[in-house]
Amino acid sequence: MSTPPLVVMRGVTKRFPGVVANDDVSLELRAGEVHALVGENGAGKSTLMRILYGIYPPDGGSIEVRGREVRIHSPRDAIASGIGMVHQHFVLVDPFTVAENVILGLEGSQLLHPDGSNQRVAELADRYGFQIDPAARVEELSVGEEQRVEILKALYRGVDVLILDEPTAVLTPAETSALFANLRQLRETGKTIVFISHKLDEVLEIADRITVLRRGKVVGETAPAETSKARLAEMMVGRPVLFRLEKPRTTIGEAVLQLVGLRGGRLRGIDLEVRSGEIVGVAGVEGNGQRDLADAIMGLRPLEGGSVLLDGRELTSTSTGDIRNAGVAFIPEDRQDQGLVLDMSLWENAVLGRQEDEDFSRRGGILLIKRIKQLAARLLQEFDIRARGIETSARTLSGGNQQKLILARELETDPRLLLAAQPTRGLDVGAIEFVWSEILEQKAAGRAILLISAELDEIYALSDRIVTLYEGRITGEYPPDAPAEEVGRGMLGDVASAKAG
Amino acid sequence: MATIEAPAPTVRERVRPEWLENIGGQLLALVAALVIALLLGSLIILAYGESPAAVYGAILTFSFGSRDGFGYVISIATPLIFSALAVAVCFKGGMFNIGVEGQYLVGMVAAAWAALKLDFLPGPLLMWVTIVFGMLGAVAFALVPAVLKVRTGAHEVVTTIMMNGIAISLVAWAINGPLHFTQQLAGFNINLRTDPFKANARIPDLGHRFGIPDSAHLSWLFPMALVTAAIVWFVLKRMRLGYEARAVGASAGSAQAGGISIGSVQIKLFILSGALAGLVGMQQLLADKGYLPVQYEAALGFTGIAVAFLGQNSPLGIVLAAVLWGVLARGETAVQIDTDVPREFVIILQGILIISVVVTYQLAQRRLLARQLRKAATVEGIGDSAAAVDIEGLAKEDR
Repeated sequence: MSTPPLVVMRGVTKRFPGVVANDDVSLELRAGEVHALVGENGAGKSTLMRILYGIYPPDGGSIEVRGREVRIHSPRDAIASGIGMVHQHFVLVDPFTVAENVILGLEGSQLLHPDGSNQRVAELADRYGFQIDPAARVEELSVGEEQRVEILKALYRGVDVLILDEPTAVLTPAETSALFANLRQLRETGKTIVFISHKLDEVLEIADRITVLRRGKVVGETAPAETSKARLAEMMVGRPVLFRLEKPRTTIGEAVLQLVGLRGGRLRGIDLEVRSGEIVGVAGVEGNGQRDLADAIMGLRPLEGGSVLLDGRELTSTSTGDIRNAGVAFIPEDRQDQGLVLDMSLWENAVLGRQEDEDFSRRGGILLIKRIKQLAARLLQEFDIRARGIETSARTLSGGNQQKLILARELETDPRLLLAAQPTRGLDVGAIEFVWSEILEQKAAGRAILLISAELDEIYALSDRIVTLYEGRITGEYPPDAPAEEVGRGMLGDVASAKAG
Repeated sequence: MATIEAPAPTVRERVRPEWLENIGGQLLALVAALVIALLLGSLIILAYGESPAAVYGAILTFSFGSRDGFGYVISIATPLIFSALAVAVCFKGGMFNIGVEGQYLVGMVAAAWAALKLDFLPGPLLMWVTIVFGMLGAVAFALVPAVLKVRTGAHEVVTTIMMNGIAISLVAWAINGPLHFTQQLAGFNINLRTDPFKANARIPDLGHRFGIPDSAHLSWLFPMALVTAAIVWFVLKRMRLGYEARAVGASAGSAQAGGISIGSVQIKLFILSGALAGLVGMQQLLADKGYLPVQYEAALGFTGIAVAFLGQNSPLGIVLAAVLWGVLARGETAVQIDTDVPREFVIILQGILIISVVVTYQLAQRRLLARQLRKAATVEGIGDSAAAVDIEGLAKEDR
């Protein structure tokens, strides 16, 4: 160890009522390293870093910065000690420009000098190789650019340690590699980066050292050269994890879903067929029409042209309720915005979409609450949804359990077609395994499945057929064993080579 | 998650505590709000050199000290129950019906028309038809902003506020024109009004059965308001419309993806809200005056918003809040007669009360949620404690 550690956290303990979030955790951060903090959801990664950033007071332990013990009571203290943090959810003022956001709170005088601050921010961005226009308004930026603004904000305040909480969760693959290029440049200049993540491939790519947390404790420290994805996952979860599940063999039958020249929103003519017993994976960088595709099939957005057929029956311009009744189950990409009503109880959520079934409401519109509650209780049991009870609100569930509730509800209807959009977004390894095996079980049962995912891993793990979506068009079709580079070209719209491949 | 050896969830356990927790938390918040409001009010009273005990005592005696007083309180509360329910029904669906004011005025005109023009109807039938016309008039008026919202996206707050102005002019036009009085009655001022209704159009008095004088105008409308509150509770909690409304109000996106037609729910809610608004004017029209005056008791619709807020949009809460409002309104007279504190003190007290209810409910809700998240985290096992951690963080970062 040539250089002494920049930050030392020693024996840090943090208890929340009923939960020990951090149990005697020690961590060393060195100057000029990317230090990955990995663990499942709730393993205590974010808590530990929030303690370092002064959001939570620790219940025990000490923090040293540059060899001197410090007490960090607030983010202000943390920044004074040279520690900055970028949260998962950005805190930017949308109508303000990039530069205005970066200097917010440090304007220096009552009179603003837009040109001066634009120039200072431009210089700062240049120094670290950040591509951004200081005069652009934040509301016009992409998510990746907004993240750059957040990082610049921290750098402008002169921090040496930059904590990034799940920075890639919101990024497209292209934005992720741009971020990694920035992080490497920051490392060159001697900055320390704490990279909180549960995406193991990314951790192995960018980190110099890796600390693994499980249930609030450090289970080990390692480096990319000394470990592998499988070993990291085992450290995180505490048991071996399967990254590839056995795909059940099914006989692929007739076309269940047919999309013919679908146009509307970002969609510019989608032709696609999904047959029974088949999983078709739609790969693509986010923002190329995935949301519109799902919404169009579910009748949630108006179409400019084309049609949606289920078992040969026209579903175009049918109401969402009728589309569901025709046998379409839907796992939306945003489970909080299109899946669950967070402030309603689990039993009320369990029946959402089927509230008009005669099983659950009488002719006069009176709900058969007893039956709905029985349904909910059964779903909780069958899908091992961990909750206090069916009366509790959906908001109190963890992401994994929320997704299980949606799966349970949607699969209960015995659908013809399962439309699964980003079904494992934000879930940890254990939950991903569960969702994948459920989807494969649906295939085994002979259902047609349309999988829309930005994770190539997921597309490969599940699909019988892969298509790529780029700017609202299908740019290629591939067998499940096609090389990733070929699929990647289709995702970037390289139509000619995709067709050749 | 599979690593966690938590016991399988037993679904039946402790379902009631959470339900009780919610009600208990809300009651506690309400009591805390009342205490805060009364304490702050005391400061104002002290500034006037009066004793808080004397002023509050006067307010309470005036309301509860005699049967008359209580009768007045109840008859003030009656229309407020209807108007707060009208506000709450839309609120549950995520809409603000600021137009209860205008809707009930139009309802009064429609009811007055029926009472006068259909007076050939026998016995209590005339009263019921009059009430139904009041509801229909208000519904028709409520449908305009509802259809505009669903068809064009025009925000209901803007349209309903604007339509309140139209309603006021409509009443004036009706009294000046088609419903203008024809008979000069001895003892009546030559004021603008309609002719008096026939006796069988009026809602019979209830108060005299309990020794409360007719002047309190405590009629059968009050039990009707209680029944209405129960019906609204049933619709919201036990019927598909209420379920769909709450889903739309809490998360329009999820409701829509669940196959609920948002537009149709919104129209139905506005119809229900309008029907309730139509009942607001009946206290004055059929229990009190017996004709449509030009000096109608304005702002019942706006007060309904405050009462709905105070009752946190729950039917039971609204009944209690309306009675509380009745006590305060009655207290205005008490303060004027018995103390040197100006009557406006009561209006200030109402304002403080609403603000403290808002604050205490927010705090109570946040604490309840944090508590439930923690309990959920314990059930899920530490592997999923992120949620509990997050909410603590949110509370902190809010500062």
